[in-house]
Amino acid sequence: MEISNRSMRGAMLGGALAVLTSVGAIAGTAPSLAAQTDSSAAVQVGQSAPDFEAPGATRYGLLRDPVSLSDFSGKTVVIAFFYKARTKG
Amino acid sequence: MEAYRDQYAKLFNNGKDVTVIAISVDPDTALASWAHDEGFPMLFVSDSGGAIGRKYGIFSEKAGLDTRVVFVIAPDGKVTYRAMPFRELVGSAYTELGEAVARASGGN
Repeated sequence: MEISNRSMRGAMLGGALAVLTSVGAIAGTAPSLAAQTDSSAAVQVGQSAPDFEAPGATRYGLLRDPVSLSDFSGKTVVIAFFYKARTKG
Repeated sequence: MEAYRDQYAKLFNNGKDVTVIAISVDPDTALASWAHDEGFPMLFVSDSGGAIGRKYGIFSEKAGLDTRVVFVIAPDGKVTYRAMPFRELVGSAYTELGEAVARASGGN
């Protein structure tokens, strides 16, 4: 029991370290991640933009209804994917 | 996103007939509080799980994040411009984006 508790703690510590390491890796390599995403696998110019539905927010708070791309048909839409809130850019 | 806010009038016609949707894997609550603190005029969408990023082919499975890619979608629903990666620290990236938006919206 003692041993298994200790090995459990060891595993948890290992897990925490792995998380920290991967966070560090993200922060350190973020600019190159986009370059690593295969551009031929991404939606191309000339193709229809895939529709989606997901929770939305503005500076005034959470939106009651989910946001769909199709809500904006007939208008120009800019979709800007970004890494993380509270980071630069 | 700061640059989007600061150039919102110039690049996006102040949101008139142009909708800017900023998407990340953050929870909607995190996006709302950040938008509130920074006064961002854009619409934010939470892609927790990365389903939207996968649909667009820009989700990094390794990092568990949507990578920094920008699409312009014309009123007919077709993609007319893609910046991959979007170089958020380069001024000309915004000029080019603004021009793409103007072309998509009817060429003025």
